[in-house]
Amino acid sequence: MYGYQNKVLRINLTDESATVEPLRMDFAEKYVGSKGLAIRYLYEELVPGIDPLSADNKLLFTTGPLTGTPVPCSGKLSIAAKSPATGTINDCSIGGHAALKIKYAGYDMIIFEGKLQKPGYVVITDEQVEFIDGAEVWGIGSHDAETFLSDKHGREYVVLSIGPAGENLVPLSCINSDYYRQAGRGGIGAVMGSKNMKAVLIKGTGGVKVPDIVNTTNRILDILHEDTLQEDNTFVFDLGTTAFLEACNDGGILPVNNFSDTTDEEWTQYNGDVLMEYRDGKRGCGSCGLGCGNFLKINDAVCEGPEYESISVAGPNAGIRDPYHIVKFNEVCDNMGVDTISTGDTIIWAMEMTEKGIYDFGIRFGDAEKMLEYVELIARQEGIGIELSKGTKRLSEKYGGTDFAMQVKGLEYPQYEPRGSWGMSLAYAVSDRGACHMRAYAPNEEVFAASIDPYTAAGKGQMVYDLGVFNAIKFSLCICDFWGTISYEIMAEVLTLVTGRTWTEDEMPVIGERVLNIARAFNQREGFNRKDDTMPKRLAKDALKNGPAAGQKIPEEAFEDMLNQYYEVMGWDKNGMMPESLIATL
Amino acid sequence: MKRLKWGKEKCIGCQLCAQVCSAMKEGEYIPSRARLDIESYYDRGALKYEASYCILCGICAKNCPVEAITIDEYITVDDDKCIACGICAEKCPKHIIKIRDEAAKICDTCKGDPTCVKACPQNALTFA
Repeated sequence: MYGYQNKVLRINLTDESATVEPLRMDFAEKYVGSKGLAIRYLYEELVPGIDPLSADNKLLFTTGPLTGTPVPCSGKLSIAAKSPATGTINDCSIGGHAALKIKYAGYDMIIFEGKLQKPGYVVITDEQVEFIDGAEVWGIGSHDAETFLSDKHGREYVVLSIGPAGENLVPLSCINSDYYRQAGRGGIGAVMGSKNMKAVLIKGTGGVKVPDIVNTTNRILDILHEDTLQEDNTFVFDLGTTAFLEACNDGGILPVNNFSDTTDEEWTQYNGDVLMEYRDGKRGCGSCGLGCGNFLKINDAVCEGPEYESISVAGPNAGIRDPYHIVKFNEVCDNMGVDTISTGDTIIWAMEMTEKGIYDFGIRFGDAEKMLEYVELIARQEGIGIELSKGTKRLSEKYGGTDFAMQVKGLEYPQYEPRGSWGMSLAYAVSDRGACHMRAYAPNEEVFAASIDPYTAAGKGQMVYDLGVFNAIKFSLCICDFWGTISYEIMAEVLTLVTGRTWTEDEMPVIGERVLNIARAFNQREGFNRKDDTMPKRLAKDALKNGPAAGQKIPEEAFEDMLNQYYEVMGWDKNGMMPESLIATL
Repeated sequence: MKRLKWGKEKCIGCQLCAQVCSAMKEGEYIPSRARLDIESYYDRGALKYEASYCILCGICAKNCPVEAITIDEYITVDDDKCIACGICAEKCPKHIIKIRDEAAKICDTCKGDPTCVKACPQNALTFA
């Protein structure tokens, strides 16, 4: 098939060697690329039960057939491994230009195996692979490392790097690229750190071939202007995801004080209009079109975004209402190499623990300066940071406070309060890597579009299934979330144009469901089942007091009902297990 | 004569321009061989830009020792006359001319209908 490079670069870090092998086209036919393809490879290659931080884990950088073409919003890269935070499969999506550089270097996928004998980094220049001593960059911030490595090797290289958190195997750690883009969740940075690999640099000067390139290009440009660049999508240029703040606050799903309530009357102190006054530039990923990146500077604080999640977790959910703090929190998390969501959630859980007198972590709601200090302590494994780096699941099992440890399977909650959008509790519970908002974005239907009653279990199994299948295929095409109007029809059309194989509209959800199933099969093999598809007790016990969802809680029976519905649509049994007959089709 | 114009205030650095340029001129998506190079990048907490594209200044044509380059509404390189001496590339103030396959590769604004402009999603590139 066109579009693919038909090459996988397999890098053995233990003996510092690299080989090139053909891409498994049988997998590509069934999973297309990116997310789905990465998970299928890991299902094939990882031995069940391995320690995610051992040399047995593998780190996969996976592109798709659309990567490197002008198909809009196709610049995302999947970075996947078994997660040290959850023990599940973990595929992250990172923007910037890394995916394109890998493709232009001639590869569909890079697999990192084993472990460098001592800290180092890897430089890939088209077909050449070098292993370089990392003494100069080990221990320094992720941004600082990127600057150093860009200066040393040249700006034509894209840099993917970890901060001290990844080096120190913190399960909240992320991988950065292009400074402000992250593969954020599930401790993916710790997997890179466990391989002693501080950074990967990639330069690619080759190209991507497609059939009938003139007509393909012209049709792609028509789709860009007719579909991608319509108002339903272009709002991200003006406000980025800060636009969600108003929608979530109005809809009663903006969390306050570690999800103890929703709706903040003071939200205009730190909303998009305020933050955008500090905008110093715009930037998108490679092959973008929409340009969501808002480069902001408030005094000495610099970030791209900040995204809705970071605003919430360093804002109202921490009892803080200060734009400077939000941007500084984002910057410190990026440079230290930790995920803003999980790190923020862990600190705000500690704030509530202290407030409630259950355990004194020395930090309370509103302690902005201490919050920044704790991020560094977590990343550097110093003082209280050693404990806090464990995340809310492990911490609450030790210190109490499990009812308000907002996590599933050890991955902390993104910033959408499920009591105002019941389907979100299901989406978090059944997501393939623990609580993730990118797997099935329930508020879109329940709150923003108001297409279904948010305060009922009825219909939520089907809704989360439909949303999940859609995102699973979309992300396997490496298309960005922000092309919200893309349809199965367009997905099939661009895939057909680029690969030369005929893909049909009806085939798209079939592949999407298969991607959900292969992820579940991986987790099932690791021992996950219904007992792990959970909801924090707070959501069933305490009714919300403020905002449009005041009075709402999610009864346990309603949650169990939603789970049953979802398992039935997926063809799994009551215990959330998929039958062998289904696994055999994957 | 219409020329390419670029404004950094609108550019998001997506490089769709270079992708479609290489598609039309090289038959594949290969930005390293595009006839323009526009990008943005971060460096030490600042957003920076680099933009190389033909401004139809005519310096290449004036300096061509074999008169292989002519400019009418757009640039034409006569590959039969071109001796790939590289003087045009050397003199180009935008450093965007490349010598490859024994000929100078110069932007011809797609013969007055530039695809890069059509691809630019934020109208950072215009033709006027």
